[in-house]
Amino acid sequence: MEQSLALLGLNHKSAPLDIRERLALLSASELAKRIKAEGTKEAAVLSTCNRFEVYFMPAGEAVETVGNRITALLEQISGAALSRYAYRFGGEDAVKHLFEVSSGLDSLVVGESEILGQVKDAYETARAADMTGKYFNVLFQRALYVGKKVRSETGVAIGQTSVASVSVQLAHTIFGGLQGATALVVGAGSMAETTARHLISQKILRLTVVNRTWEKARALAAQFLAEAVPWDSLPSALERADIVIASTSAERPILTREMIQEAAKTRQGRSLFILDIAMPRNVEEGAHGIDHVYVYRLEDLESVVADNMKKRGVELDRARGIVSEKVREFGLWEKSLGSGREASFKHSDIQEPSRIS
Amino acid sequence: MNYEVVFLKGALAFYALATAAAFVYLYNKDDKWSSWMFRLVGVGLALHLVSFGFGMHYFWKIPDNRYYFPINSFFGALSFLSLATVAVFFLIESRHQLGILGAFVLPWAVVGTGSAIIFANPAAEGLVPALQNYWINIHPVVLMTAYAAFGNAFGVGVALLIQEHQIKSRKPSELCYRLPSIEDLDDLNYRIIVWAFPVLTVGIIMGGIWAYSAWGRFWGWDPKETWALITALVYAGYLHMRFVKGWRGKKAVYVSMLGFACVLFTFLGVNYLSPLHGYLSGGG
Repeated sequence: MEQSLALLGLNHKSAPLDIRERLALLSASELAKRIKAEGTKEAAVLSTCNRFEVYFMPAGEAVETVGNRITALLEQISGAALSRYAYRFGGEDAVKHLFEVSSGLDSLVVGESEILGQVKDAYETARAADMTGKYFNVLFQRALYVGKKVRSETGVAIGQTSVASVSVQLAHTIFGGLQGATALVVGAGSMAETTARHLISQKILRLTVVNRTWEKARALAAQFLAEAVPWDSLPSALERADIVIASTSAERPILTREMIQEAAKTRQGRSLFILDIAMPRNVEEGAHGIDHVYVYRLEDLESVVADNMKKRGVELDRARGIVSEKVREFGLWEKSLGSGREASFKHSDIQEPSRIS
Repeated sequence: MNYEVVFLKGALAFYALATAAAFVYLYNKDDKWSSWMFRLVGVGLALHLVSFGFGMHYFWKIPDNRYYFPINSFFGALSFLSLATVAVFFLIESRHQLGILGAFVLPWAVVGTGSAIIFANPAAEGLVPALQNYWINIHPVVLMTAYAAFGNAFGVGVALLIQEHQIKSRKPSELCYRLPSIEDLDDLNYRIIVWAFPVLTVGIIMGGIWAYSAWGRFWGWDPKETWALITALVYAGYLHMRFVKGWRGKKAVYVSMLGFACVLFTFLGVNYLSPLHGYLSGGG
């Protein structure tokens, strides 16, 4: 019987959180040894909080039989009924799945790069436990290579698809690095908080909070380890800010054109990025016309999000194209193993590490 | 066969390919293209150096020309200016790795080498006695190096205006995420000019010293001298805005672009006006 790769797994789409959590707790190296005892020639366990997958090659018995035994073993250890949530792939489909996983195409946040490191860990753990042979060595090295290639040649990871992350991305196109930037939150609200949190994750220099109600400003500031300033100081806070998040429930614009013009004068041409995410608007429309002032309203940000969603479709197609091409290549290599003359992979398409732009 | 022209054509071909790669990179985020651009520019630069070497070889066949730089002709000047532009770009690119700037700077190299090949006469001519002086190896070379740097700054300025426009439109396209940020471009524009301005000033002063030793006066309001001075004043204005007044962004970039317009006029236009610096257009 011809040897073939098999996969048994579950992920964030197929299984509920509590089931995934129970599996995530298991020790991968411990599991590896026990899976080997179930009649596999080579095996690796990929375990993250969003997925649990066992890749294996049966030692002689039918894939089905070995797969059932592994499921039974996992159910016994975890105490959860897994067969309802698990998917099984064999042969080329299993290879394709692994390449998609390493490329971030099967991730919750599509294109995220953490998974690449997790695939690498899974491989290294298996190798350390002496559970990989030639087939798995080549398979996993190819998976890592494909993951890198997809990330460097397609934009799967760059199209941001939330208002907060688009705001941060736009801030980068204006200021570059945000390490020296000061952000000002005017008002409160969950979207303002999320955006502020995203900015903080970019290691901004300073965050200032201002609110008509001093207590609210203080509370929000405390939450972010930021500085609260009284409402009267809004104009001077505006002068110091590079990024302003306006999110008050005021009926009329609280940031008037005149006020922003005054602040802009003292800024000597340094850009001022204002996010007006309030409904109704907090920023007078004319303000966008001032030199070096960029006012993005909620609808502008949402249209960028919608655009990115669309573009991401194209990038996903390109990524899938690369994956299928590499799966086909791997299939050729696999066939050549049986013929006694092993094919080699093209290395001409291996790129240098991508350059920073 | 004139190997100077042959190699210059080769350089032109590689600059053109590099420019094409830079434009592909603008529309396709594939880093592969920006690293190809860098390599193609490198090859072009090497060919250009060989071309310049041959130029020097032909030039020195005339004994009076010996050990002077072959930049007394329009061909030599254009070739050298393009060479310097690409060299400065290569330097900036290798330090900052802003692959995207290729699309804004390399077209100048293509235009420069292309017009040398198409419009200028590559034949080596004897230096007129007035130019048989060691200053010809310094004064124009220094000035053209400054011009080349200003050309790069101009490319950065164009990128800045495009980026500014993108963000102001509220509908940023893919290009927006590809270009460096407004503030980074502004910084780079400033850094190039702050470096090139002293070079320009020194070049002009050297011209004065040469003029003093040749004609007994430091300054004669020859159109080339006047326009070089205007160029220097415009860039000084830019630096004043940036440095003393702290102005940044679009307005400052407009001033720096005006400076580059002056550079172009000083380099090209004035040749037809200037009795003393007319040698470039074959007069003098």
